[in-house]
Amino acid sequence: MSKPILYGIDPSPPTRACLLTAKAIGLDFEYKVVNLMAGEHMTEEFLKKNPQHTVPLLEDNGEYIADSHAICTYLIQKYGKEKDQLLYPADLYQRALVDQKLHFDTGVLFTKLRAVMKYILPTPKKVPEELVTAVYEGFDFLETFLANSNYLVGNTMTVADICCIATVSSLVFAPINPVKYPKLTDWIKRMKQLPYYETNENGASILLSLVKPHCS
Amino acid sequence: MPKIVLYGVDPSPPVRACLMTLRALNVEFEYKVLNLQGGEHMQPEFLKKNPLHTVPVLEDDGKVLTDSHVICTYLIQKYGGQKDKALYPADLYERAIVDQKLYFDCGVLFTKLRAVTIHIFNATGPSKVPQDKIEAITEAYDFLEKFLQTNEYITGKNVTVADICCIATVTSLAFHPLDSSKYPKTTAWIKKMQQLPFYSPNEKGATELITFINAHLKQFS
Repeated sequence: MSKPILYGIDPSPPTRACLLTAKAIGLDFEYKVVNLMAGEHMTEEFLKKNPQHTVPLLEDNGEYIADSHAICTYLIQKYGKEKDQLLYPADLYQRALVDQKLHFDTGVLFTKLRAVMKYILPTPKKVPEELVTAVYEGFDFLETFLANSNYLVGNTMTVADICCIATVSSLVFAPINPVKYPKLTDWIKRMKQLPYYETNENGASILLSLVKPHCS
Repeated sequence: MPKIVLYGVDPSPPVRACLMTLRALNVEFEYKVLNLQGGEHMQPEFLKKNPLHTVPVLEDDGKVLTDSHVICTYLIQKYGGQKDKALYPADLYERAIVDQKLYFDCGVLFTKLRAVTIHIFNATGPSKVPQDKIEAITEAYDFLEKFLQTNEYITGKNVTVADICCIATVTSLAFHPLDSSKYPKTTAWIKKMQQLPFYSPNEKGATELITFINAHLKQFS
C-alpha cells in the first residue's frame, strides 16, 4: 500500500489546511509541490488527475480527491485514530455543524481571498479598497460564531478550525483589531498554540508578503 | 413523526436544492416562506437561528442547520430510506467525490451567480451587472462539461445530492444561455435532471429568478 500523495504549494491556504490535518492525525504522506506560477496545474498530466486544475489534490491508492475540505474529512475518517475522530464527529447533527463551517470557509472566507488574489496573480495591481473592507464581513461572522465557544463548533477543536485558520491567517492583510475582535483574536492565538502550527506559518507569510504591498 | 421546518423562498437556488431533496425523500415538512425584501432575514428572531442571515435554514425538531449542502446531506442520512442512501454514498471515497462537487457548487457555481445577483438584490439599490461577471459563468459551464465527459451524472453513473444541488444553481444561471452545440453533455444532463421525479419543486423558483434577472439586465443594458 503506497503512501497518500498530497499535491499543493505552501502559500495556498487550502493546501495548508490539508498539511495541518495530516500533522494533526500523524499521517505518513508524500508532499509533491505543484509550481502554479510555472503552470504545472495546467499540464495535461495534472488535468487528467484534476480537471478543475486546483490545489490541493490528494492521490490515495490511484484515486484522486480535490478540494481541501473533502480531502481533510476523508483523511480524518480513513487514517485518523480513534482520538482524531473528534476532529470530524460521527454524530449526524454535530457533523453537520462542522460541515456548515467548512462551507462557510469555501463560500465566504476563501471567496473573499480569491477576489483579492485576482489583483495579485499573475501580475500584482492595487487591490480595490472595497475588497479589503469586505474581508471584515468574514471576521464579523467569525466573531459571532466564537461568541460563546472556544472553537468554531463548541469547545473542542474540529477540522472546521483547521480549514478556517489556514484561510484567516491568509486574510490578515486586513489587520484584526483585538479590541473590536476579542474572540477572533483569542481563537487565532489558541490555534497558533498547536504543536504543528508552524506547518501553516511559512506559506501564510509568503502569501501575505505578496498581498500586503498592494493594499493601502 | 419528523418535525421539519424549512425557511426559504422559491427563487433561491439553495432553497430549491433542499425542496428537491425533501421531495426525493418523500418527507413531510413545513415550508415557511420568508419576506426577504421586507428584511425578515435580518430580524433578531431569525438572526438568532442564523447569524449568517441566509436562506435556507432547517429546523429539525428544534435543531437548526444552515447551508443547503449541509441540510441536504443531513436530511438524506437521517430520513433517507434504503434506496435514498445512494444520493450520499457511505463509501468514504465515493462520499469524498460527492463532497468535492458540493464544495464546487458552493465555491464556483453559486459564487458566480452571487457575483451577478449582488448587483440586483442590493441593500443600497440595484446597479448594472459588470459584463465580465456574466461572461465568467462560461467557466462554470466549461467545468461541468469536463465533469460530464465520461459520466452520466456529476460524480458518476448515479444521481447524487451533488446533482441536486448543482442543478438548482445551474438552472439559475440560464440568463447566460448554454450553447447546446458547445456543451452537449451539460445540456443532456440538465434535460435528464428535469425528468427526475423530484425535479418539479425547482421549476417555479428557477423561472421566477431568471425572469427577474433578465428584467434587470434589460433595464440596465
